[in-house]
Amino acid sequence: MSRSPEDPGGSDPRAARPGLSRRGFLKGAGLTVAAVSVGQSGAAGQKPAAPRFGGEEVPILGAEGAEIVLRVNGAERKVKIRPMTTLLDALRDGLELTGSKRVCDRGACGACSVHVDGKLVTSCSMLAVDAVGRELRTVEGLVGPDGALTPVQSAFVECDALQCGFCTPGMVMACTALLAENPSPTREQAAEGIAGNICRCGTYDNILDAVALAASGKVKERKR
Amino acid sequence: MSRYEEVKIKLGFEGQLEEVTLVLDEGALAPYDLERPYSVVGKSVDRYDAIAKVTGAAVYTYDRRRPGLLQGRILRCPHANANVVSIDLEKAKAMPGVHAVIDLSGDGRSRAKRFAWDAVAAVAAETEQIAEEALRAIAVEYEVLPHAVRTRDAMGEEAPQVGRRGQANVVPMSVRQNRNESDEDFAKRLEGIERERAAEFATLMEQADIVIEEEFETQCQTHTSLETHGLVCEWDGDEIMCWASTQATFNVRGELMASLRPKNARVVGEYVGGGFGSKFSAGVEGIACARLARESGRPVKLMLDRREEHTSVGNRPDAIQKITMGLKKDGTVVGYRVRSWGTPGSGAAGSGARNDVMYRLGSVDKIEYAVRTNTGALRAMRAPGWPQGVYSLEQMMDIAAERIGMDPVEFRRRNDDHRVRPHEFKLGADRIGWKEKRRVKPGAGKGPVKSGVGCAGTEWFARGGGGAQCTVRVFKDGRVEIRNGSQDIGTGTRTIMGMICAEELGIEAARVATFIGDTDDPQGPGSGGSTTAPTLSPAARQSAHDAKRELLEAVAEAKKLPASELDLAGGQVVRSRGGSRQKVMSFDEACAMIPGDVIEVTSRRPRNIREGFAPTNAGAQFAEVEVDVETGEVRVKHVIAVADGGIILNAKTAESQVSGGVIQGVSYALFEDRVMDPIKGHMLNADMEAYKIAGPVDTPRIDVVLVGVSNGYNSTSCMGLGEPPVIATAAAIANAVYHAIGVRITSIPITPRKVLEALARKEKR
Repeated sequence: MSRSPEDPGGSDPRAARPGLSRRGFLKGAGLTVAAVSVGQSGAAGQKPAAPRFGGEEVPILGAEGAEIVLRVNGAERKVKIRPMTTLLDALRDGLELTGSKRVCDRGACGACSVHVDGKLVTSCSMLAVDAVGRELRTVEGLVGPDGALTPVQSAFVECDALQCGFCTPGMVMACTALLAENPSPTREQAAEGIAGNICRCGTYDNILDAVALAASGKVKERKR
Repeated sequence: MSRYEEVKIKLGFEGQLEEVTLVLDEGALAPYDLERPYSVVGKSVDRYDAIAKVTGAAVYTYDRRRPGLLQGRILRCPHANANVVSIDLEKAKAMPGVHAVIDLSGDGRSRAKRFAWDAVAAVAAETEQIAEEALRAIAVEYEVLPHAVRTRDAMGEEAPQVGRRGQANVVPMSVRQNRNESDEDFAKRLEGIERERAAEFATLMEQADIVIEEEFETQCQTHTSLETHGLVCEWDGDEIMCWASTQATFNVRGELMASLRPKNARVVGEYVGGGFGSKFSAGVEGIACARLARESGRPVKLMLDRREEHTSVGNRPDAIQKITMGLKKDGTVVGYRVRSWGTPGSGAAGSGARNDVMYRLGSVDKIEYAVRTNTGALRAMRAPGWPQGVYSLEQMMDIAAERIGMDPVEFRRRNDDHRVRPHEFKLGADRIGWKEKRRVKPGAGKGPVKSGVGCAGTEWFARGGGGAQCTVRVFKDGRVEIRNGSQDIGTGTRTIMGMICAEELGIEAARVATFIGDTDDPQGPGSGGSTTAPTLSPAARQSAHDAKRELLEAVAEAKKLPASELDLAGGQVVRSRGGSRQKVMSFDEACAMIPGDVIEVTSRRPRNIREGFAPTNAGAQFAEVEVDVETGEVRVKHVIAVADGGIILNAKTAESQVSGGVIQGVSYALFEDRVMDPIKGHMLNADMEAYKIAGPVDTPRIDVVLVGVSNGYNSTSCMGLGEPPVIATAAAIANAVYHAIGVRITSIPITPRKVLEALARKEKR
């Protein structure tokens, strides 16, 4: 099967950033549904050969859903999903990780941002099944074992980079990913780096201050 | 009979303080002022809920989980104007996984659906997907009627009937139809009034040296709260528990009580993902959710989706404003005439633009028309009526200043009676380098990217009031908490309540825990009109003060000291005697002397004080823009936002309110626009990619300048700060764009296309 470079179902799924292209997203969804129908037709007695997706074995999902294992915040977690379940819904509904928010549900606002293998991904636009075998981190997984906030989180508190707070987890994930790639961004680079995230209260000015403070290494440590 | 006492206090702002004698109710606390040093109030304190919000621990209604929770969804009318002829719910009811289906099509006349995406039915099912499938199984027969969804489309003679038969589409708001007056007679009388007023105004204009006429247009904007409207409802016998994404917990409780008559209703909204004026009511979805929960016997969550959020739960209406201004060469405004049109949806509520405010405008002749269209009904949106009205007013002020050759700031000063605003204009002008930058004549800048600066004023009027109460508890182990049942929609209410409590008790802000957003706690206001802080802060102060007195009584009793000599400060009980102060014991030691386990005090907010410094608070904004005359792109580079809110309680959250208002203003000025499809009658951009909201890269540098005003109207001298910052920004940007390119763009959003068209018109001239 030949694939376009932006196709998340490409032979090396880690090479592409999933959920970026809507066209690719839909193609990927179609493929997964096809995998399910294979599973159903072979359900009489013998176990069918596990379909392969993106070079990896994919569990067979029935209409009632099936259990997959996601590696979230450093732990293997079982979650029951259906073929069309998004990563966002699997996290929120299946794993009770409700920090990631459902706002636009189509990759336009960034409120559902998580890290997949260290890259920023809008989890509403990635299928849960595509996250199998990936290293997932949500906002709940940022705080250290001693309860210490990350520099980005502490800087958000310090700079009051939040109001209603609904965009905040996604913003924190976006700023964290930004600083991982560029540890000392200019204000313009920081704004470009988090341009996929929308805040309705208008906290951007403070968020950009927070990025600068976190980058400076001078942020006061705070604990949960 | 009430007794009064007099207190001398300095009112005003730095550089303009005056001693005034205030008359207070006996025992009332003298207002916070600028003289006394405060240990907590006015400082920059971290938001109490910031850590919960940055770690994802804050649980919003959308995040609420309950055992056996069902998912609710609403069936929406696909037609912009239709009557429901019949509805069949049986197939949906029979589907596996469906637990309740209810009819929302109404009865009799209310079966009319006057906008696309009005509610028709609702279901509760095991999963969202089953709920969606069940909606598709509901058969509805509609009688489809012609529609008009754009304001101008509904204004013509040939326009389709928007409301019910016989209702005019265009309804004057300040001239009322008499009960026995026929539509025809009313139309005739209105015509007469308009003729008469036009003649009067023409006579008035004979006194003017210059007459300016201009027409402005502002777009319809949706609130776009990131957390959509919605609730989780759960019945326990005949009592209902409800978690709601609301800016008025007590309103939701009242509506549930009135419409479902439970024995009791408790509404909780601990965290709310934005409201901006759209979340004062339980709404259609709230009552539907409660009914579905009752019918299914299970808890139900009903959160709207993004499309519903745009179409069905409110907006800031558009405005077409035709304005005539007459003035003398010396800058005196003789008269101001306004005719405006805007759509409230299919109803006929006032959609008014507040365009005759702030300045002395001479004799004002204003008639505002509501234009019915087949669109979702308006709701209050942050400073309802003001951004659109001030957008036209402040451009008229600039046009007038230019015509008489006066500096725009000076022209405003001469026509402004406000006691603080002229000072705020001066602060802003100095800060942005107004004099230097305005030396360049409009449009005279060199190169393809032209800079400009513009200004605009703002004003608000929230001193708070009503009977809010807070409960303060001081525990034997030294813990302190303050409670109120209203909500914190992101403004920082939770934090200022705790800060005021800490101030009164002489302890650190971080020691106080605030509980908010639960109607089992004392009554509080809806978060509207910027009234939450000025309403709650005096209640918080009073209850903390009363708790302090009880604590000091306990200490006095135990230590055999006169309570009147004791006070709390710096984490200590201090005794003042003969001009000297000595520490008696620590706050913790004092708490240990509490008889029983806890002091609990619930106190009522004192009444407002009759006299103060300025009955409204104001502000001034200066915007600096760059306009690329080759691409038409406008970029806002810098905004100076000068604001006052009486005594600033928490500098950190106050600055955020102002900064956020400016960013929303930038978004309103340059991007947002509800686009209606005239053919299908639907909103075309009911999402977050085509409905443009300012993002991080559109954010200018923002300097917030807070002016502390010892105002005196309530015990915390607090004036609502939330709304005024959003009012001036679009006007300041529009004026700056004119300064940059020398041609005025009279409609928002200021898109590249409008800029290029305006420049092309200028070339032709």
